[in-house]
Amino acid sequence: MPNLSALIYKKNMNILYFELLKLRKKSRGWLGPILVFILIMTAFPLTVEFLNKDLEQAFFSILWIAVLLVMMLATEDIFLEDYNDGSLEQLVIHTKSLSFIIGAKILIYWSLIGVPVSVIGSIYCLGITSSHETALLIFPVLLISSYIFLNLFCFGNSLTLTKGSVLGTLITMPLLLPLLVVLGKVVIAINLGLNYFDFLILLLGVLSIIIVIIPLIISFVIRAHLE
Amino acid sequence: MQVDKAYSYIFLTSLIIYLVAIFWGLFLTPEDFVQGNSYRIIYLHVPASFISQSLYLGMAFASAIFLIWKVKLSAYLVRSIAPIGAITTFIALVSGSIWGIPTWGTWWVWDARIISTLILFIMYLGLISLHDSFTNNEKADKFLAILVLVGSVNIPIIKMSVEWWSTLHQTASITISDKPAIDTLMLYPLFASVIGFSGLVLCLVLLSSKLQILNRERNKSWVKKYV
Repeated sequence: MPNLSALIYKKNMNILYFELLKLRKKSRGWLGPILVFILIMTAFPLTVEFLNKDLEQAFFSILWIAVLLVMMLATEDIFLEDYNDGSLEQLVIHTKSLSFIIGAKILIYWSLIGVPVSVIGSIYCLGITSSHETALLIFPVLLISSYIFLNLFCFGNSLTLTKGSVLGTLITMPLLLPLLVVLGKVVIAINLGLNYFDFLILLLGVLSIIIVIIPLIISFVIRAHLE
Repeated sequence: MQVDKAYSYIFLTSLIIYLVAIFWGLFLTPEDFVQGNSYRIIYLHVPASFISQSLYLGMAFASAIFLIWKVKLSAYLVRSIAPIGAITTFIALVSGSIWGIPTWGTWWVWDARIISTLILFIMYLGLISLHDSFTNNEKADKFLAILVLVGSVNIPIIKMSVEWWSTLHQTASITISDKPAIDTLMLYPLFASVIGFSGLVLCLVLLSSKLQILNRERNKSWVKKYV
């Protein structure tokens, strides 16, 4: 008799593999946001004077907003297609751990979109601030913040599943206010060489709470949608 | 109708208290040493800001009750509080910017407290538009409650914004633990105005939730008997 937990594990892994395949095949889904990010980061120097000092001052605020925008675009139809073709309903019926699947789905999105965006963002940071240290320090912050953004936008877009992403963004943006404030503080901490690791640990703490809670909430929301 | 009688008592009492507070604050309290007469807008600004945050807390509480015990009435309450919260937040913002002209010399400052209050205002509008975008009211109630609960992370940030950042907006003059930093001559009318304003807003909430209940239950026989 085959081991039941092993079977369930294998089934979940299969679903994950299909998710990965689905996202990888849909290049508009993962390549599009990355290209938009590159475009924003390349185009923004046109809006400020080309003095290096001005660029440096504007860089981080543009960076956070660009990451936020890109994560918003990336999660725009994360559940919509599955909902439309009925596979979301199948998923709800078949799996007991819907929240696990959703968490994994977000993880896949993060690894295909969030990680490249973080790498590109730190390269831009290196290019504009010309300081290896800042670029190195900003990289983990970008990784963590893009993951948090993804989670929260997924939440917003799952609430407004069939109602379009404008409403989803409208209700998610206010939730990101605290995070943006912390990110601003992180930049100050890096520039002054102060308690950077305190902020990193704070962000990690927030992330660890969000990773657990948001998939649970999303699974509740999706079940409510399918009722 | 016993309820309507109680309602009119609450309304009259709080109206009298608020009018007395306004009269007391405008004509009987002395001029401020620094701000002159302009500080007297405090009798509108402080109650409105206090209420705008308290209403959100009330909504969060009602949402929790709705999600945990499935009390339908508390979902109606959440929906009926949202527009009132938006209005009081708007009053707080406008009265604050009118107060800002004589004291700070400007209508608007990009200051932590002011930005977070504006975000609260947008949050209220987002809640309303989320609920209105669904035709299925039960679904909309559920999503609204979830969003209110998740959004309540912002309330402590709005509350503590004046303590955590060095802002132009002053810190709270009245706290539970310390002696108030405001003279008693101005303090008593301020308390009276907060109580009166809260009572008036409570009446508005009662009226609006009554309408909400009658509207949602319009097909029931008891409504036809009542109306």
